[in-house]
Amino acid sequence: MTGRVIVITSGKGGVGKTTTSANIGTALAKEGYKVVLIDTDLGLRNLDLLLGLENRIVYTIVDVIEERCKLKQALVKDKKNPNLSLLAAAQTRDKSAVNAEQLKDICNQLKEKNDFVLVDCPAGIEQGFQNAVAGASEAIVVTTPEMSAIRDADRIIGLLATKEEIESTKLLLNRVRPKLIQSKEMMSVDDVVGILEIPLIGIIPEDTGIITSTNKGEPIVNDENALAGKAYRNVAQRILGEEVPFLDLDEPKGFVAKVKNIFAKLKAKV
Amino acid sequence: MNSSFVENGFIIDLSNTKNTAQLVFELSSIMEHPDVKGKRICLKLGDLDLKQSQLLSIKALIESMEATIAFINTSSEQTEASAKSLGMILSDADNDSEVASYVAEERRDVEVPETVPEIEDVQEEVKTVEIHPEDEYTSQETISTIEGIADTYTEQSAQELKEVIPAEHFANDFERLAESEGLYSHEEASKYILLDTGDVLEEGAEENTTDTKTLPTLYLSQTLRSGQTVNYEGNIFIVGDAHPGSEIIAGGDITIWGILGGIAHAGSNGNISSKVRALKLNAIQLRIAGLYARRNDTLNVPYVQKTDEFTPEEAQIEDGRIVIYKKLRRD
Repeated sequence: MTGRVIVITSGKGGVGKTTTSANIGTALAKEGYKVVLIDTDLGLRNLDLLLGLENRIVYTIVDVIEERCKLKQALVKDKKNPNLSLLAAAQTRDKSAVNAEQLKDICNQLKEKNDFVLVDCPAGIEQGFQNAVAGASEAIVVTTPEMSAIRDADRIIGLLATKEEIESTKLLLNRVRPKLIQSKEMMSVDDVVGILEIPLIGIIPEDTGIITSTNKGEPIVNDENALAGKAYRNVAQRILGEEVPFLDLDEPKGFVAKVKNIFAKLKAKV
Repeated sequence: MNSSFVENGFIIDLSNTKNTAQLVFELSSIMEHPDVKGKRICLKLGDLDLKQSQLLSIKALIESMEATIAFINTSSEQTEASAKSLGMILSDADNDSEVASYVAEERRDVEVPETVPEIEDVQEEVKTVEIHPEDEYTSQETISTIEGIADTYTEQSAQELKEVIPAEHFANDFERLAESEGLYSHEEASKYILLDTGDVLEEGAEENTTDTKTLPTLYLSQTLRSGQTVNYEGNIFIVGDAHPGSEIIAGGDITIWGILGGIAHAGSNGNISSKVRALKLNAIQLRIAGLYARRNDTLNVPYVQKTDEFTPEEAQIEDGRIVIYKKLRRD
């Protein structure tokens, strides 16, 4: 078995890379696939908190690299889903404790026994980013409909294009607020896709449930009723190659406007 | 009557009353006095039998005057049981030196002298702790040099961590841990809390029971933040909080005058007699020698309110697992 290694990156901090990693990973595991999440944000780790696994971490990725334990020992199994496991970052070290070759090696080992290896990338374009990208063959760029986030995403997409190993780069638009788009206060999905010119893989609405889910250590995809959870489940479906229409986040409008909207989104996807 | 009470509390002696009606009458007439407001009251009830409901009414009467019951003195078994069921503190003698007596007329002269010797005792103790200007100077000097040491230790820690803890020191078997989940839980109303406990030392690691009193101690006066590590071969004493994400590794005991939120590893070289103490043990993981305990998943208390009242807690190894002792609250 050779699994897919997907890096989740953004350039800018705080746009939702870690939340996206946790949710897509959980959604794929719920579909029955074996998933490993790797937190490469050394020194500022968060992924364990979002999954509620902080109290289980004994060994980290640095322990694996410095050969204090075996790779298998450092994988922390999720509380609910045995298909999902986490390779945690070290909190007491910094990015220089790991190099790109070592991370690539870990990714290669993990993809042999798993369907998906999701790499949660740190913010920035320095060594942390270079490490995270090293082992991946696909990338998901997370951005929000704000100029600063889009500018950074554009820079990242440019950098990813120079990496031969990255075969596909998809866009995930996070924290979308349909009401603000309607009142022309926020850039629309089309505007963002128009600027970045890469295929869209998901639109996640702003959801206050994300805050509580983060604090509880319970990814929002486990909440059947949350809109953001549904949007993340759809992203997982699209990663698996299924055609899933984008959620209609707009307020109810006339029939003609709705049809136009669907066409616009289809166009954006192409 | 006014001259007999001081500061914030006093004794009300109602042991001469014959029935509940008389007791309530006496008590309410005393409680009407403006000086009773906000005071802690020691209630002497003599041999009068009081039911729980009656005692509750008395408590309500006292609390309506914005005073509180500090403790109750009674010779009746029924009253004692009622008081216990209401969580009131019972006392044999008026042992609180702050409490001056406010006696119902007849008994006043008997009660007052009893408290006097105790107050004298306290004053004697205070004398021995008098601070001389020279002492103050030296103690400040010491603290500043210790803080210097602290910085260097935080920097060196990453290197030392590798040397002090060999990989095989912690047995790590997540399968087994997952199975044991729910086996240990937060035991309410008992004197100790059990955490989920991990595994024992692997073969070859040397357990020892060196007396931690013989080890040197590193004294730190600072807050440990996420990502900071302190590693020391002896005991570690920290005045301040250890935030989640920090790591403290000691060859001996770890004592924290504050909230322990990070990871603490006492007896890192196999000393199973080491202990971890803090005003509040909120550690995500506690490690002593080769054992480790992680916080129960059902205990969802990542943030501790600093305004909370803390009772000191101590973790140690008992019968092959980590057990936390918590001092019982008296209220």
